Order: sequence, then structure tokens, then C-alpha cells
Amino acid sequence: MNIIEIENLSHRFSDGTLGLADINLTVETGAMAIIAGENGSGKTTFLKHINGLLRPDTGTVRLAGVPVSRDVTRARQMVGMVFQNADSQIVGDTVYSDVAFGPENLRLSRPEVNRRVVKSLETVGLIDLARQKPHLLSGGEKRRLSIAGVLAMNPQVIAFDEPFSSLDYPGFKQVLRQIISLHQLGHTILVTTHDVEKIIAHADRLIIMKGGRIVRDGIPIEVIKDAEIFGIRQPCSLRL
Amino acid sequence: MAELTTFSYRSGNSLIHSLDVRFKLAALVFSSLATLNADFRMLITASCLLVIVFLHLRMPLKSVLKEIRYFFLLMFLIFSARALTEAGTPLIETKYILISRQGIYEGALVAWRLLIIVFLALPFVSTTRYSEVKAAVEWYLTPFPFIPQKRIATMLSLIMRFIPVILDQARETADAQRARGVENRKNPVYRMIKFVIPLIRRIFETADEIVMAMEARCYSESRTGPVFEARLRDWIALAASGGFCLWSVMT
Repeated sequence: MNIIEIENLSHRFSDGTLGLADINLTVETGAMAIIAGENGSGKTTFLKHINGLLRPDTGTVRLAGVPVSRDVTRARQMVGMVFQNADSQIVGDTVYSDVAFGPENLRLSRPEVNRRVVKSLETVGLIDLARQKPHLLSGGEKRRLSIAGVLAMNPQVIAFDEPFSSLDYPGFKQVLRQIISLHQLGHTILVTTHDVEKIIAHADRLIIMKGGRIVRDGIPIEVIKDAEIFGIRQPCSLRL
Repeated sequence: MAELTTFSYRSGNSLIHSLDVRFKLAALVFSSLATLNADFRMLITASCLLVIVFLHLRMPLKSVLKEIRYFFLLMFLIFSARALTEAGTPLIETKYILISRQGIYEGALVAWRLLIIVFLALPFVSTTRYSEVKAAVEWYLTPFPFIPQKRIATMLSLIMRFIPVILDQARETADAQRARGVENRKNPVYRMIKFVIPLIRRIFETADEIVMAMEARCYSESRTGPVFEARLRDWIALAASGGFCLWSVMT
């Protein structure tokens, strides 16, 4: 079953720049797809359409058969988005209150909010830091907190926008482990990146974007051969 | 990122930590109002109580005094102004200045009151999370129909949350400019413009990102509200501060 179905999606920004052009795509439930491309290729714009943060000029995005435009709140609950800059995503004054932000917006009862917060923090391994101030966390911990904030809303799809940017190696390992674990738990995972090497071994699909269009889509081992043409560095294992 | 100041929340399990924030806030307001009209007897009582509270909370007094060192300068100025302008029995009299006994008394009283108010705020700030303050403000504003209490509460919490981020951005901007020799430019207006414009731009960019991130998590003003629980100790704290206020009015 396809959880995401996109037909003829196009988007132009207010200054006239083309964001996305004629995107047609389906994503199966439980898949892990990498969306790769150089800066400005439309990766983030694409994710924002799935989450309902941007509206298409033409075309339709459907989540489990329902158009995003019909119920944006449902779309945002179904597709959790982890932004590139964790500092801007964290809005709570403590780790706990930040994770509670999403469930509170969904008007869940207080016991349910508390239950979800605890469960999400346990999933990402931050339960011991629940009372900590977010700005005192490390880069990897902040990224995991962003993931917990999204998990507390019980999403089916989790979209990561450049999840490894500005992370040191321990931080990268923490976040990668988290992404793999969420995939194993049954979440559909979308990861945008310009550096596929870090995650390609775990993905079952690689989509390459350029100039707002999908230029390659398929099994990673096949698609990666053409990556350099589109400004994406091939993994070292293929270059040696 | 570094901690802000000693005037920030310190986690703990003290009695003051466990008080309901609505009562704590009301008690702070009552006590501060009472202090504004306090005489020396009341100030001595308040000071003794504050010492006990500080010891109970294990406040780092040295750091606190260091933090408020400029406030002492302000207090000295207020004390001096009162001492030099208040008419009364001369204590020191020269050709140009006259310091009266009443002036010293009044100056000391005003300076002490201000100091007590600052020190009253300190236990409140260090035992209360911003989110709790936000929740209390939201609760107090609820009866007013034309005030968007949830929006105000969210703005309050975002301000508190992003002060460290803005301070960090300011420090990074200043460092980047120093690295490019801005200190060689002696014109303070030029330096100010070169500092403020990129900083403001970054703050607005961050604000845009925050709005996007909040929307992505279904932000709405119709959200699950805070839960409060008033216990006997909260009422006792409120009654004590109310009693202090009454004492101040009656003297």
C-alpha cells in the first residue's frame, strides 16, 4: 500500500523561482527513501509539501488516500518533520515541555500527553534529561529531541531534512541509529541529504532531484551510479 | 551554549520548588507590595526570612552578589540622592552639602526595600521553570475575555526559550566581526550598524524557522492547558505573604 501519492506536483515561489516541477511519486508504507540533490534542488520544498507546510500551485499530494489540502492537521500529524536546524525546532524551555508541545497542540488529555512524552523520550534515550534545558544539549541530543517531539505526535511517516548536518561523529551515530530503529519500528522514513554515503546502506530507495525535478528514482545501488552527474558525491566504496 | 545567569531556574526538590506556581506568583506580588511600604522592623524580619530561604535553597550567594554588583551602584545613587536632599537634623554640614539624619534614614530605607524586592524575586526565579510561569500567567489572564492568554503565554515562553539562542548569535556575530578587525574602526555608530544589521537579520530568519517548525507540529491556540493542584502548603504560603502585606498596610 502506498502511504504517499504525489501527482503532477509543481510549486513556484513568490519571487518567481521554480521550486518543484511536475513531480509524480509514490512511497510505499514502511519504506526508507533517500531524497538526494545539491543545494537548491528542491528537497526541502518537496518535504514541506508532504507535511502541508507549503501548498502546491498544481498537482495533489495524498497521504493514505486523503489529499493533504483536505485536512492539513491530519497531514502534519501523519508526517512528522525533523528540520535541519534543531535549535529552531525546539520550542520548549525543558526537554519534557518541548516534547509535550505537539501532543498539547493536538488537544490530548494531560495523562495522554504525559504518556506520549515519556514514551518518546524513552525511545530516543533522553528520558534522563527530561528536566534539562534544551540549549544545554549536545548537537546529537538536540537532533534526538527534535525526533522525540515528532514521535510524540504518533506519525506514520517521518521526514528528516538533512539530519546529519553539523553533527560530529558520535552525534551522527546517535541520529543514524535512531533513524534505523524508527524504520524497524515500522515508520516510513524520508531522508533528504546531499551526502548519501552516510545512510545509503540502510535505504531501499534513492531519489535524486535537480532543479525541482526528480531526475532519478530507484534502487540505491542502481541510481547511485549516475549520482555524480547531478552533483552528488558517490560513496567511497564505489570510487575505490 | 553557556548558562545564562544565577537568575535562572535551578532544579531541586525544596519546599519552594514544590509550591503551586500560581500561589508562588501571588505571594511574590504581595510580598513585593508589602516591602514597598515596609519600615525597618519589617525589613529586618524580611531579611531574616530571606536568609533562611537562601540557606534552604543553597543559593550561591557569592555569585548572586557578583551578578547584582551594578544594582548596588544604583542603590548607592538612590541612597546618596535621598541623603543629600532630605531636610532634617544636620549630620554632616559643609559649605556645599548637607547630609541630614533623616536623609540617611530615608535613603537606607529605600535602598533596603529595593534590595529586598530583588532578593524576593531570586528564590522565585530559581525555583520556577519558565513553562510554569507561562502557565500561571495564562491562568491569571483566563478571566479576561479580550486578552489572548494562550498567545501571550506562548510568546512569553518563546522569549524565554530563545534568549540564550539570541545571545549566542550576538556573540558569534561579535566574534566574527572582531576576527575581521572591526575594533580598528573607532566610530561607534559604524560598529553598531555593522553589528545590529546582521544580528537582526539572523533573529528574523530564526523566527521564520520557528514559525515553520511550530506549524509542522500543529500549533494552535486551542491546546491542552496546564494542570494545577493547590495544597495546604500553597494556601499557607499565600496567607503568610498576605499577612505580611496587611502588616505593611497597618504600620
